[in-house]
Amino acid sequence: MARVELKMPELGNEITEAQIDALLKEVGDRVSEGEEIITITTPKVTMDLEAPASGTVVEVFVEEDEIVAVGAVLAVIEA
Amino acid sequence: MRGPGALIEALRQMTVIRAFENGIASLKSKGGYGDIAYAYRGPAHLSIGQEAAAVGAAMALTPEDHIFGSHRSHGEFLAKGLSAIQNLGDNALNTVMESHGGGVLLRAVETRLPAENARGLAENFLLMGLLSEIFMRETGFNGGMGGSMHAFFTPFGAYPNNAIVGASAGIATGAGLWMKSQGRDSIAVSMTGDGSTGCGPVWEALNFAGMAQFERLWESRGFLPVLFFFTNNFYAMGGQTGGETMAWDRLARIGAGLRDDACHAETVDGTNPLAVADAVQRKRRLLLDGRGPAILDVECYRFSGHSTTDVNAYRTKDEIAAWDAIDPIRSYRDSLVTEGILDGAAADAIQTEVDTRMKAVFAAAADPEAAPPVRLGDDGARVGGKMFADSETPPDGGPPEPLADPGKVARIRQNAKKSRGGRDADGEPLSPLRAITLRDGLFEAVLSALLSDPRIMIYGEECREWGGAFGVYRGLSELFPHDRVFNAPISEAAIVATAVGASMEGGRPVIELMYADFIGRAGDELFNQLAKWRAMSNGSLSVPVVVRCSVGSRYGAQHSQDWSGLAAHVPGLKVIYPATPYDAKGLMASALASDDPVIVFESQRLYDQVELFRDAVPNGDYRIPIGAPDIKRVGGDVTVLTVGPALYPALEAARSLETRGVSLEVIDARSLVPFDYGPVLDSVSKTGRLLLVSEACERGGFTMTLSSNITRFAFDALKVPPRTLGSPNWIVPGADLEYGYFPQSPDIEDVILTDLMGDTGHSRKGARRWDDLALARSGL
Repeated sequence: MARVELKMPELGNEITEAQIDALLKEVGDRVSEGEEIITITTPKVTMDLEAPASGTVVEVFVEEDEIVAVGAVLAVIEA
Repeated sequence: MRGPGALIEALRQMTVIRAFENGIASLKSKGGYGDIAYAYRGPAHLSIGQEAAAVGAAMALTPEDHIFGSHRSHGEFLAKGLSAIQNLGDNALNTVMESHGGGVLLRAVETRLPAENARGLAENFLLMGLLSEIFMRETGFNGGMGGSMHAFFTPFGAYPNNAIVGASAGIATGAGLWMKSQGRDSIAVSMTGDGSTGCGPVWEALNFAGMAQFERLWESRGFLPVLFFFTNNFYAMGGQTGGETMAWDRLARIGAGLRDDACHAETVDGTNPLAVADAVQRKRRLLLDGRGPAILDVECYRFSGHSTTDVNAYRTKDEIAAWDAIDPIRSYRDSLVTEGILDGAAADAIQTEVDTRMKAVFAAAADPEAAPPVRLGDDGARVGGKMFADSETPPDGGPPEPLADPGKVARIRQNAKKSRGGRDADGEPLSPLRAITLRDGLFEAVLSALLSDPRIMIYGEECREWGGAFGVYRGLSELFPHDRVFNAPISEAAIVATAVGASMEGGRPVIELMYADFIGRAGDELFNQLAKWRAMSNGSLSVPVVVRCSVGSRYGAQHSQDWSGLAAHVPGLKVIYPATPYDAKGLMASALASDDPVIVFESQRLYDQVELFRDAVPNGDYRIPIGAPDIKRVGGDVTVLTVGPALYPALEAARSLETRGVSLEVIDARSLVPFDYGPVLDSVSKTGRLLLVSEACERGGFTMTLSSNITRFAFDALKVPPRTLGSPNWIVPGADLEYGYFPQSPDIEDVILTDLMGDTGHSRKGARRWDDLALARSGL
C-alpha cells in the first residue's frame, strides 16, 4: 500500500498561502483519483483539489478556515 | 402608409431631403439661399444623391427602431423623422413636440411655420429642429450643442449621428444589446459609410453582435438585432474604397468572414428606395427572429463633395455624369409617372410645395428672432453646466431573483467569515484571507447593485467564471445569468462603445478594461463618445457607464501604467481612484448609482489591501461622494496629497519622519474628477507646505494640475513652492527596477526634507538622485 500525499499546489508566483474552504472527505472515506476532496480559496480563486490517487483517506492535517502555505501536505491517501 | 400614397410619399421625402441639403450647399457656396442671406460657418457633409438609401431604409423601420448615423446623416435623420411622423398619431406627435426642450422649438415653429395639421407641424418641427441645430441655435434639437454632424432626436428613433467614422457601429450594437436584454420588439441600425469598413472598431462591433454566446448561452436565444447598413458611395472622403483603400472587392463580402450565414449580407441598389426598403424589411424580420446581425451594402453615389471644400480632384466629370443619369429622385419620379401612379403635374406640385416649405424653414432658422443663437450672457460657464447630470435615477423595479441563494455562494460565505476591519487585536494587519480587502469592497458594491437594480449589466474580458482577471467578480457567475454578467471578446473598443449604446437605451453597463494600458484600444470610445454625449445632447441623453480599469504592477512598460490623468484630462468623465476597502466600496456604490460616466482606477497592488483606517467596512450599503478627498493622517508640518496607491508609501514616510520631528498630514485624493479642493486648502493653510504624490508619469500629470490650482487658491498660505512627485518620464521597467520608478517612501522623505523643509544637510536615501532640469531638457 503506497501513501500518496496531497499538497497545497503552487498557485501563481505571488501567492504563498491559501485558505481551506471546505473538507469534502474525511478520514476513512474511499476516493477515486480525480475526485474532489478539499476546496481551497485564495483572494482571487476558489478551487477544488482532486485526489492524486484512488484509495482511502487516512490522514487530514488541516481544518476548515485554516490558512496553509503553498507546498504543505494537506492529506494522505493510502492507495 | 401603404399603396400608391406610400410610393408618392417616398418621392416627396426624397425631395424634402434634396431641397434641405441644396439649401445648405447654397448657404455655404453663395452665402445665401433664395432671398435669404446667411453665411453658415459650420461643417456641411452633404448626402446629395443618397436620398433613396435614406428614405428606403426609414420606410421599413418603426419609430421604436433606432438609427445611429454618421457625419453625413442629415438625410438619414430627416428620413427617419419623416417616417416616424407618418407612423405616430397626432396625440403622440403633439406630446413629443410639447415635451421637447420646454417647448422652445415648438413655439418657434407655431409662430413662424404654422401648419394645418399635426403632421404638417411635426414636419416643420423636424426641419426647423435640425436646421437650427446645424446653425447651433437655441431651437436646435440639441440646443445648439451638437451641430451638423451630431444632430439627433430620439423620440423619432433618430439616435446620435457621429462625427467619428464608424463609431456608430459599436454604439448601435450596444443599443441592440440592451434591446435584446429587455426583449424589445425593435432593431438598432448602424448607418455608416463604406469607408468605415477600414475601421477596427467596426469589425469589433460586427463580431460582438454575432457572438456565439447569444445563441448558445443566453436564456433568450438569438443574436443582437443590429443592422449594419453601409451607405456605400464608393469613396471614403477622396480615397476609393473598392479598388484602392480596401481589401474587399465587394463590401457585402465582409459578412462571409464573420459568420456561416455571411451576416445575410447583400448588395442593394441604393438608387432605388423600394429596393432598399425591401432589403431592410427582410433584414428586420431576420433580426427580430434572433438571426442577426445583418449587413447591407447599399450602393449609391454622393454628387456633393465630401464637404464644401471638396474640389472633386479624385473623380472625373464622366463618372459624375454617369451617375447623374440615374439620379435616384429623377429616376424614381419617372418610374412613378411611367407606372401611372403620378402625373407630371402632381410631381411638379410636390417639388413646388417642398421648395416653398424649405424657403420658409430656412428663413425662420436663419432669423435670430425665431432661432436665437446660443449666447453665454452672464454665464461664461454655461456650456460647462451641461457636462454632468450630477444626479441619480433609481430603477423602476427590482431585478429577477438571482439563480442561487447568495449565502450559499463560496465567495460570499468566505467573506462572511472575514473580519470587517483589517487589524488583529494587537493592531497588526490581517491576512487578506482573514479580512475584507479592497477587492471584496468592490465586489460587495457591485453585488448589491446587481441584486437591486435591473439596469446593471456586467461585462468585460473573463468577467464570468474567472471573475475578472483579478477576481473582483468571483462568485457572480453562480448568481446571475449571461444577460447580467458575461464575457466580452478582447475588443476594448466594442466593450466601451456597446456600453455607451446600451446606456443610451436605459441600461447601466459596468465594464472592465483589464489593464488601464488598454485604454488606448478604446480611446475614441472613452474620450469622444462616453465623455461627450451628455453635453452634446444638451442633457437629453445620459450615459451612465462605470468603466473599471486595473493599474498593473510588475508587468513592465505596457501593463503597469497609471493613466488616470488621461481620463481626468478629457472633459466629461468622472474619475475615481480608491486606495482602501472602505473607500472602494463606498465610491463604487456612488459610481453605480450615478447618472454620469465614471472611470474607476484600481491598483493591482491594492486588491489584497485590508482596511487600516476605519474600524470596519460596513456590511450594508453606504456611499462616499465622488469628489471628496479624505484625510488619512492628521499632521502639522507638511500636507501630502496622494493619488491611489501612493497613499501607502506616504504613510510610511510619515511614520519615519515622525521620528525626526516632522509631522505629515496625509490626504488621499480618492477622486480626480470632480475634486473638492476645500479640505486640501484647509490643510495647506495650516501646514504651508504641500507635496503631491502619484504613480503616474510626472509630465502633464494630474498632480501638476492639482499643484498649480492649489498654488493659485492658497498662494498666501504657502511657505515654499509645492512639489509633485510622480514616476519619471520613461517606461515602467521590470519588477526588480520598480523601486527606482514608482515613488517610494525614501523618495518622499527626500523631497520633504530637502525641498519643503529646507534641510540642506540631508543626504538622499531614495533612487532619485538626478537633476530634474537636465532631464527635462533631454525630454525625460
